Amino acid sequence: MRALIRFGKQPRLRFISHLDLQRFFQRAVNRTGLPIAWSQGFNPHPVMSFGSALALGWTSEYEVIDIKLAAPMGRGRVEAAVRAALPEDLPVLEVRMIDDRHPAPMSQVRMSDYAITIENGDAVLAQIPAFLARDSVMAMRKTKSGEREIDIRPLAIDVHQTDCGLFCRLMLTEKDTLKPDLFLKTLSDMAGVEVPEAKIHRLMLLGEDASGAVQPLMVL
Amino acid sequence: MLSLSDRIEALFMSVQKPVRYMGGEYNAVMKRPEDVSVRYAFLFPDTYEVGMSHLGMKILYHAINARDDAWCERVFSPWVDMADLMRQNDIPLFTLESRTPVKQYDLLGVTLQYEMSFTNILEALDLAGIPLRREDRTDDDPFVICGGPCAFNPEPLVPFVDLFAIGDGEVETMQTIDVYKAWKASGKPREEYLKMCASIPGIYVPSLYDVSYNDDGTIQAVTPKPDSGAPAVVMKAMLPKLDEVSYPERIIVPYGEIVHNRIMLEIFRGCTRGCRFCQAGMIYRPVRERGLEHLMEMAEKLVSSTGYDEVSLMSLSSGDYSCLPELARQMVQKFAARRVRIALPSQRIDNVLTDTLKETQKVKKTALTLAPEAGTQRLRDVINKGVTEEDLMRSVTDAFGQGWSAVKLYFMLGLPTETDEDVLGIADLAEKVRRCYFSIPKERRAPGLRITVSASVFVPKNDTPFQWAPQLDYDTVVHRQQLLKQALSKVKGVDFKYHAPDLSYIEAVFARGDRRLGEALEYAWRLGCRFDGWSDQFCYDLWLKAFEDCGLDPDFYATRPRSEDEVFPWDHLDCGVTKAYMLREWHKAQRAECTQDCRKGCTGCGMKRYEGACV
Repeated sequence: MRALIRFGKQPRLRFISHLDLQRFFQRAVNRTGLPIAWSQGFNPHPVMSFGSALALGWTSEYEVIDIKLAAPMGRGRVEAAVRAALPEDLPVLEVRMIDDRHPAPMSQVRMSDYAITIENGDAVLAQIPAFLARDSVMAMRKTKSGEREIDIRPLAIDVHQTDCGLFCRLMLTEKDTLKPDLFLKTLSDMAGVEVPEAKIHRLMLLGEDASGAVQPLMVL
Repeated sequence: MLSLSDRIEALFMSVQKPVRYMGGEYNAVMKRPEDVSVRYAFLFPDTYEVGMSHLGMKILYHAINARDDAWCERVFSPWVDMADLMRQNDIPLFTLESRTPVKQYDLLGVTLQYEMSFTNILEALDLAGIPLRREDRTDDDPFVICGGPCAFNPEPLVPFVDLFAIGDGEVETMQTIDVYKAWKASGKPREEYLKMCASIPGIYVPSLYDVSYNDDGTIQAVTPKPDSGAPAVVMKAMLPKLDEVSYPERIIVPYGEIVHNRIMLEIFRGCTRGCRFCQAGMIYRPVRERGLEHLMEMAEKLVSSTGYDEVSLMSLSSGDYSCLPELARQMVQKFAARRVRIALPSQRIDNVLTDTLKETQKVKKTALTLAPEAGTQRLRDVINKGVTEEDLMRSVTDAFGQGWSAVKLYFMLGLPTETDEDVLGIADLAEKVRRCYFSIPKERRAPGLRITVSASVFVPKNDTPFQWAPQLDYDTVVHRQQLLKQALSKVKGVDFKYHAPDLSYIEAVFARGDRRLGEALEYAWRLGCRFDGWSDQFCYDLWLKAFEDCGLDPDFYATRPRSEDEVFPWDHLDCGVTKAYMLREWHKAQRAECTQDCRKGCTGCGMKRYEGACV
């Protein structure tokens, strides 16, 4: 049995790297007192996996961790135990018990919703209609092996202006990924301005159900 | 207008390891300012990773926070990148918990672990906007209170510090808070708080003392000012029973990696061995053990509240804990199923019990760390390191036989009476350790022998029998390092670690320094010295310039032989062990005569003058 846990990353902790957060959870699961399943092998560790890594400096209300339990447990008890083991700046938002055959959350992620709060962003936000009207928008994407020019237009599924910035739904798969900072930079380049100060917040991770419909990751 | 918190965070993308300044860790204590009457900022004058690895800070942090009327929050030295950015952006030094400017606190506690962190204290005061000199402080500033091992000779820091807390901190710290509340309620002037504190056991108020000097620059006397009410000699604070004082049940679990990221369980305080170079072995006397049951209970609470998978049994000489095998067995039994490792950090070669090795091995196998300190029996007798070559060989042979293949050997260069022959003895020992490994049949030993020999430069410390000894001069140290390097290059598989002696030289100056050095300390800091304990930051030339420009001769402090009747700058602070005892030990050292471990019979060190000690 596995526990699929959605938690938030509040502003105070947005500078914890993904690696540090993984280490943090190694200890956090120990203090839950739950019957955690351990891996076999030379260096056993709790069996757990994360959804998509969040970049340094971003906040989120949709971080997902999947923890394997060695014995069945009720959802309520798991939720209470995990809540007690996390600091208030990593709030537990949702817990779902899934069985061992359920696919790993990481493999199900297709896209992510972000809220980008921008100060003095009028020039950038004004580019949204132009961006959406184009068939193709080329941008330089930094990868492990260097820079590569990609067409980001098809990777931006939905974009619209909001009261304090913009909302965007961007592709997030192993093959096709558009990160919100690159998206923002592209809009800024189109406007011919410096990239404005912005706060990036993940609203949701999404996947596709059997019928191909887009659904929040936690309900898949 | 951005809040201070926002302005701090705005720097995070521009600094290394922002996690150092972030706070918000699990088990960090949050309170509402309006709920407490005393705000206490606790500064560890080094990086977050170093400070968060320190047991003393954890103990005091949780002890203060156990009070409803006080809130203790942490401060660490911002690394140089952050400090520079804070200055550029007018961001004052802040606490991690509430991100409040340190200047706004009532009390600022500072722990003095190491002389080379002194410039960081000045840097921190300056970043906080607190006047460096205590006489320039006003009601808008906190009182600066320093404790820790270097408080036993705090004189170089005297111009900058309001109070020193000498000895065990758990109780005296509480008393400084209680007195603060009483003083605050009384509405009396700032100086009055200091006077009120002068009657707390272990508290030293430097402004209440006058120092006079002899013509040769040595000290004539340190005496309390007339009518100050300050004691002529400040006796250190000493807790007779550790089981009766609080120990943290929930310690902070950092997000990033720190130096010692594990549970530290203090199994006892003090040491009975009487190694003559060792300051800790003198100033933490007497030995006070925690009860086995109490330790098991503490470990259980800490494992549950932190999720750590390692417990380190801490003390100056863990092998001396009276029921160590039983403790180790119970710990291993209790925590093996929860995959918690048990580590014994400071193993002593004469006391590495084979049984205990077996127990710890079940859980983890790290390098066997041994500290013979000196290369020949004669010199080990001089320093009273009651360990023979036979002990050492037995320990390593046992360990190799049980699957260890890595050994770290720690030595000091420049010990009193040392000769080239003693130094070459280190290489002999390394060779013999190597032979021990190969004496184990190949199929029974772990492959890949690694011997690490580390040789530090001896720094004579106050409150030790070697406080009369000159530090070995620079050129001779370099000569002996090279001699040893050459000799070790002939021993296969040995890694030799050593450092330039300049850092140890400055450390030696401050270890036995007096009030006049405060000038040079401040000057060196103004020249840019900070993080002196970090070799990439340490600037030897700036230090030499500081001494020169202040008209002080560092050799006077570091390499000058002291006469037996010299008044030391710290003689008015009683560390528990008497000067007469240390002088006897100094004499015995010259004769290479050992003193027994006082568990085997009292050696008359002076601790019995303290109520409840050595019963």
